[in-house]
Amino acid sequence: MATQPDVDAPRQVPVRERRASNPVTWVRSGGLTKLLFALPLIFVFTIFSWLPIARSVIMSFQKTNLITSQWVGLDNFVAVLRDPLLGTAIANTGYFALLALVMGFPIPIIMAVLMSEVRRGKGLYSALAYLPVVIPPVVAVLLWKVFYDASPQGVFNTLLGYVGIPPQPFLQSQTQAMPALVIEATWAAAGGSIIIYLAALLIVPPELYDAAEVDGAGIWRKIWHVTLPQMRGVIFVMLILQVLATAQVFLEPYLFTGGGPVHATTTILLLIYNYAFKNSLGGNYGMATALSVMLAIFLALLSWVYFRLTNRWSTS
Amino acid sequence: MTQTGFSRAAEAVIAPDVEQAGAPQQPGQGRLISWRQRRRENSMLDSDRSIISTAERRQPRVRRTLRGVHVFLFVSLVVVGLGPLLWLAKSAVTPTQDTLQHPFALWPNGIDWANLSQAWNDVEIDKYFLNTVIIAAGAWVFQLLVATTGAYTLSILRPRYAGLINALVLATLFIPAVVLLVPLYLTVVSPPLLGRDYSMLNNYLAVWLPMAANAFNILLVKRFFDNLPRDVIEAARTDGAGPFRLFWSVVLPMSKPILGVVSVFAIIAAWKDFLWPMLVLPDPARQPLSVRLPAVQSQTELDVFLAALAIATVIPVVMFLLFQRVFLRSAGLGGAVKG
Amino acid sequence: MRSIGRKTAIAGVTLAAGALLLTACSSDDGNNASPGADGSGKKVELRVATFPPGADKAAYDAFAVQEKQFEDANPDIDVIGVEYEWTGPTFAVQLAGGSLPDVFTVPFTDTKTLLENGQLMDVTQEMKDLGYADKFNPIILDGVTGTDGNVYGFPRQAYAMALHYNRNLFEQAGLDPNSPPTTWDEVRADAKAIAEKTGKAGYAQMAINNTGGWQLTATTVAHGGRTQIDNGDGTYTETINNPGTKAALQFLHDVRWEDNSFGSKFDLDWGTINQEFAAGNIGMYTSGSDVYTALVRDFGMDPAQYGMTVVPMDGEDPGTLGGGDVAVISPTIDDATKAAAVKWIDWYYMQKLMNEDAAVTDAKALSDAGQAVGTPVLPVLSKDLYEQSLTWIAPYINVPLDQMKPFTDHIWEQTPVGEPKGKTQEIYALLDPVVQAVLTDQNADIDALLNQANSDAQALLDQ
Repeated sequence: MATQPDVDAPRQVPVRERRASNPVTWVRSGGLTKLLFALPLIFVFTIFSWLPIARSVIMSFQKTNLITSQWVGLDNFVAVLRDPLLGTAIANTGYFALLALVMGFPIPIIMAVLMSEVRRGKGLYSALAYLPVVIPPVVAVLLWKVFYDASPQGVFNTLLGYVGIPPQPFLQSQTQAMPALVIEATWAAAGGSIIIYLAALLIVPPELYDAAEVDGAGIWRKIWHVTLPQMRGVIFVMLILQVLATAQVFLEPYLFTGGGPVHATTTILLLIYNYAFKNSLGGNYGMATALSVMLAIFLALLSWVYFRLTNRWSTS
Repeated sequence: MTQTGFSRAAEAVIAPDVEQAGAPQQPGQGRLISWRQRRRENSMLDSDRSIISTAERRQPRVRRTLRGVHVFLFVSLVVVGLGPLLWLAKSAVTPTQDTLQHPFALWPNGIDWANLSQAWNDVEIDKYFLNTVIIAAGAWVFQLLVATTGAYTLSILRPRYAGLINALVLATLFIPAVVLLVPLYLTVVSPPLLGRDYSMLNNYLAVWLPMAANAFNILLVKRFFDNLPRDVIEAARTDGAGPFRLFWSVVLPMSKPILGVVSVFAIIAAWKDFLWPMLVLPDPARQPLSVRLPAVQSQTELDVFLAALAIATVIPVVMFLLFQRVFLRSAGLGGAVKG
Repeated sequence: MRSIGRKTAIAGVTLAAGALLLTACSSDDGNNASPGADGSGKKVELRVATFPPGADKAAYDAFAVQEKQFEDANPDIDVIGVEYEWTGPTFAVQLAGGSLPDVFTVPFTDTKTLLENGQLMDVTQEMKDLGYADKFNPIILDGVTGTDGNVYGFPRQAYAMALHYNRNLFEQAGLDPNSPPTTWDEVRADAKAIAEKTGKAGYAQMAINNTGGWQLTATTVAHGGRTQIDNGDGTYTETINNPGTKAALQFLHDVRWEDNSFGSKFDLDWGTINQEFAAGNIGMYTSGSDVYTALVRDFGMDPAQYGMTVVPMDGEDPGTLGGGDVAVISPTIDDATKAAAVKWIDWYYMQKLMNEDAAVTDAKALSDAGQAVGTPVLPVLSKDLYEQSLTWIAPYINVPLDQMKPFTDHIWEQTPVGEPKGKTQEIYALLDPVVQAVLTDQNADIDALLNQANSDAQALLDQ
């Protein structure tokens, strides 16, 4: 590894970069050039990132109809909290996140461990595992929508029929719809996680394995006591990243079921989208931004608590 | 693990690839190590010991289990990873009734190649395909432009306000994209200072520019620039290189790996994007595949629709197969560097 | 040392120029509403709504013919057809942003809100000038009349609800395609026969994207109920939980769970139910009476399989839910464009309803391009004028009118009922889950669902 420059130490300030005390020296000392280089970033971030974020917070306290806006204080937040659908959306989003964790978290780790052990074919397996990730998500969802056709001749129902299971409603059922979504979402994303875990597995220092073997550890114990702890950092980060991503899931509910049946798959993002964009005569942008702000604050708090907790675990 | 601790681990993950390819053998030279050479180096890594030691591998029980693992991996990955795509390819050229009634039969009534031409012509996949390409190309240009110039400023030029910008950019990493959705939309509809008459709706800039405001890219490239050997840069400066020349002839050539990573991310993200193009490109003539395909589903017969889906999948899959290494390396980098 | 200043200047200028160039190039053909020409002899540009995205090429061919006819007659107007669909976020933004086509259509139910928001152009004088302000069916004209008594649009077509059925499936099930069901019990029995003998859905109904609520309201009305009462003073009272709605939902429950003849898709909307029907997977369903045109043009249906009859009536005071749309003008255009817009509306939408030559020209253009001519609609003018217009275009009618006879014979016996006016789309959205619940949960408590929907809807209305 190359030596890392200590970027926080005070640098020797070459003559050219001495503070400019007036516009002329500023230009002469390269200030204009630096500004020019910074301009694309500043321009793009200001208009499309920083200002919109600020505007989002402001709009959550306003009632706006694309032409005029007026301050309404906390009315939007109250309206959102009073919406009976909010509870459903939160529960659904939590359900999705939970299912995604249970179904989608252990599998990539296991697959990565298995894949790291085989001598040849890692390339082929990596490619096969990553293939679903490469398919555009819209195509994947539309394809799986065909798979989930509830008629007895639907693709999955035919497969189930081969093993004697009766045809299932899948997306047409209030209870099966969400799991069906999670299965597709897991399929589409697992490959990415597998690759990341494979990379993490690569950097486990081999001496640790040697040491463990000297202590008489078999394969399982090595995995349990060496591999997993070494991957702890990556696993922790992947965990919170997955929770953050699933908390904002939109595409699957929108394209698979539109939030149904009977709001069984309405997630928070879908609710925000409906507030803002469903009504063809103009949406309720105040409520939409209010809910987004609430969600953002919640996720920020969650991440902060999470990192504090994992810090404590890691350093214990 | 503290934040810095994790960053170190992340760097360790990036390090093997990036360091080897990025650190030039001689100052001022940024030649990439050929991919063949890197492949050899990586396969050396492969044969480094993993969990199972060579001694254990000699045990017959372990060998049998390993062979079982091989079989399991192969079957499961082919069925799960490849299966749906194979079914799509098969059904793309199968008439609707056959797909509906016998989804797993192999062309009981013959192959229907007309599906593909119908998808291409009637559903006009070619037009939307082109739109997707245009969006991806523009996204690539703008993201590279902003990321390289921004990281260059923050890492190498370091004006007085670099710290502030750095903090602001980093802060956006912690803000979920959902917060931006509505105000960004209103910004596009009515850009600041210009007003509604200059609405960016149906203008590809409305897709390209927000994508360029990507803190992750900046972070990635900045870290890479931070790791460039300072002596090379100083040497170039003493030789009289101004900031432009430094950027163009020294820093950028040395940064090809990270530029490759950012490019892959940018193109993939642009190809996949759905919600945002749907909102800001209401004119169907300008929409990319991802927005168009769901919209025409109800007016398209199943077999033609599946053919359209298949066509939409071909390019990403082919690109992946051709540039596997870049994809997989980027994937490995992507997750590990977050944080 | 090189002069940094010069390089900086060059770079700065290039950057700025590039940015401007890009912006200019990309927004070149944007949808920004461009005010019409200044009337100094240049052509007035008129952007008019044509068809929803994905429509058949032939439809556009027909439009091109008509566009040319109009432009030949009005050489100072340049008509530009714009794909148009009244849905989604884009309509709201285009509406607010003024980038909708200059002439577009909106459903009756939206005119009230648009009127209140001042988003429609006043056309009272123009309609008077054209001379047919008093020819309209007064009930229909009321929908586009503001509280100030002015008229804001031209009602161009109306429809009633109809029961569409697949003649082929009827035959395969041993039923007579020329005697479709006339009561709900018969519908149920026929659906069962179709499901048993052909394995296809015997009867299906829409359930998502506000169409669930729409069709539930329609079947409620057909069972004698009303979901909303107009108090006459600007307020409305929800009456969702009435015997008609209960009967409609009970019917759905029975068809779905007891007879198992609903098929396996419970997430249909207007587009997907048409698709399923056109593909021959549904025996019967209710939808607007004008859907034949779309079925053939956009969903590829074989005309020979199509049959249409009236929705069976049941209970006290049943009716048929009617709807329709209005041709309106964007309020932000200038006078020259407005004049052109009125000319276009008159020529394209109105004249063929009341003038024999116009009707024949229109019918000929459509029929030459293989488009449907003669689909039964409800008259926005008078019934007699409508029937007379049918005789004018008789030689061009290419829709299977005899297959639609059960509808055209009996529709005049039914009472047309307008869609509820208060928060129509939002309440439809509220009713969607009710329909979905009945279809996906065998033990759904219909009473409880309706009570909940009623209070939620009333809360919306009282806001």
